[in-house]
Amino acid sequence: MAYLVDIFLISISAALINNFVLYYFVGICPFIGVSRQVDMALGMGSAVTFVMTIAVFICWTITTLVLQPGAPVSVWIASFFVSPEAAAVIDLTILTYIVYIFAIASAVQFVEMYVRKFYPPLYKSFGVFLPLITTNCAILFACLTVMSHIIGVENPGEVWDLGRALALGIFGGVGFTIAIVIMAGIREELDLCDIPAPFQGAAITLIVGGILAMAFMGFTGVDSGLRAVLTGGP
Amino acid sequence: MAHALKQKIPSPGRWLRDTNLGQAWLVLALAILFGAALAAVQVNLSRRIEANRQNETLSKIPELVWGPARAREIKSGSAAVQIIPGTLQAGSGANPITLNLFKVIHAGQLAGWVIKAGGQGYAEKIDLLIGIDPQVSALTGLFVLDQKETPGLGNKITAPGWRGQFKGRSTGRPLTVAAGLSGSEAAIDAITGATISSRSVTRIVNRVMAAVKDSLEVDTFRPIERRS
Amino acid sequence: MQVLPTPTERFIQGILPENPVYRQLLGLCPTLAVTGGLKPALTMAAAVGFVLLCANIITSLIRNLLKPHLRIVVFTLTIATFVTIVDRFLAAYLYQMSKALGPYIPLIIVNCIIICRCEVCASRQSVPAAAADALGQSLGFGLALAGIAAVRELLGTGMLAGYPVLPESWPDWVIMVLPPGAFLTFGLLLALVNWISADKQQGEGGGS
Repeated sequence: MAYLVDIFLISISAALINNFVLYYFVGICPFIGVSRQVDMALGMGSAVTFVMTIAVFICWTITTLVLQPGAPVSVWIASFFVSPEAAAVIDLTILTYIVYIFAIASAVQFVEMYVRKFYPPLYKSFGVFLPLITTNCAILFACLTVMSHIIGVENPGEVWDLGRALALGIFGGVGFTIAIVIMAGIREELDLCDIPAPFQGAAITLIVGGILAMAFMGFTGVDSGLRAVLTGGP
Repeated sequence: MAHALKQKIPSPGRWLRDTNLGQAWLVLALAILFGAALAAVQVNLSRRIEANRQNETLSKIPELVWGPARAREIKSGSAAVQIIPGTLQAGSGANPITLNLFKVIHAGQLAGWVIKAGGQGYAEKIDLLIGIDPQVSALTGLFVLDQKETPGLGNKITAPGWRGQFKGRSTGRPLTVAAGLSGSEAAIDAITGATISSRSVTRIVNRVMAAVKDSLEVDTFRPIERRS
Repeated sequence: MQVLPTPTERFIQGILPENPVYRQLLGLCPTLAVTGGLKPALTMAAAVGFVLLCANIITSLIRNLLKPHLRIVVFTLTIATFVTIVDRFLAAYLYQMSKALGPYIPLIIVNCIIICRCEVCASRQSVPAAAADALGQSLGFGLALAGIAAVRELLGTGMLAGYPVLPESWPDWVIMVLPPGAFLTFGLLLALVNWISADKQQGEGGGS
């Protein structure tokens, strides 16, 4: 029960309260670039959600098994070369960023090939966005958030398992989709407005984004209230 | 003639450009070079980073146990202060919690405990250090390690005046939060415009106090073995 | 053959004509995320500047060995390495700042400015031009960040880089240091820059 509450709160938090775009400012480039039409925004959003889920899965696995201090696979490999005591303290944390970015890039490549070959309709709807998301900060940000809940956590009970990591990956993507689709809806209407010349394009998008961020600030504090209600605590 | 000959023999650069091995060689060489650079950084800096991380907590502990003035006195005194990090299993059967805590020993005697605890705040997680006296009867101090509450409102929980209210509170009964009721024995004064932040901190403190009230004994305290 | 700009031109271009933030709209994540105060903004700009300089110099040195299909891999490897180095240095010598910037330091890896400069300039030009380009672009980036951060910190807290500037009676516009303030400030400043440059162009057009 406590576990389910945790998953639920991580999901709500990632999708609405601490929205990736409007609270953490990651994925701003597509938020401004690909938010002209609702259907394009939806395609981008689903591509990001899809890749984010896969990336978080890969990064959680690599971090837990290989990268974190004393990770089982690294220790096992190192024990062939050095004494078991020396192998037990192996720490590959410094490689995290390099490994993550290459894991994400190759995952995107494989997903693109796979989807193009086996699911042409799906590829048509969001495949064109796939190469764009390799350098999307939202994906790397999700992986880094998962990392911060695995490496350097003092309390063993607070280390994230795969379920929590996936909840963040899926609902982080959902939050991105929500933000970009709302934005696209507003911009479709804005096209009919008479916007002063200096504000046209990115400037007005940012200001609308600011108003959206204000609206999303209304969700702040919902998670602490929900946790109190769901766990029955004071 | 010499010019023509020069063009016949491929230069090493050209050879590298034209073969697969040459391309792989470049990426591989860069990887080895960068790997060495990272290893050097890791060897030189990791100890310092780890020390930074621990000092952040350790430097606050004397103040939490003795208060700022006395802590300064003790620091300049001759008797050694020993801080032993450890963990504690607490809480009731269904949901046991592991607490990170520090046992503070001064001149050979137990001077107090400092517990590190976190919980959901208004915006994100709040991390606290809570000082408790040796008999586990009263709080000796509170420090906010980490918070992302609203600037200007919620982040007033870090102000010494507000934190000071927790000092001397009995661990016997849960603390409550009330607005504009300073002077009342059990209630913590809610910060205007940040009732939720005030309540979150109090809730974390209450949870820790409930957990440790019965079980903070020497035999349940397990020191962490630090690798050198 | 296209004539490539000289080092001096590269340096000047980065500051305003090709300003990475206002003109190319690149690297927007840090632009919005770390501009709550002047200090984190300047630290961020310095970190990006260091990574950009190192990546540009290395790319320029090996530009004749690069194969087109491998260049992105090489760029990413270089950038990720230098970002890791910067991250560790901050954690060792500026621990509080490193904590405050948090994930935005590793996010420099996917900052489009750097890979864009490697691609556009460093992989085609000599080391001095690449270095000048890196310095110009980082200066432009730093100025843009500092501008946004100064407005936000001043209006949001009445301080600049931690020192009180506005009188005590200033009612802090807390919204400016919260996420919406970042969007609003950057949107308004972007419009201002657009307006000024459009005005200038018009003035030049009228004169000739």
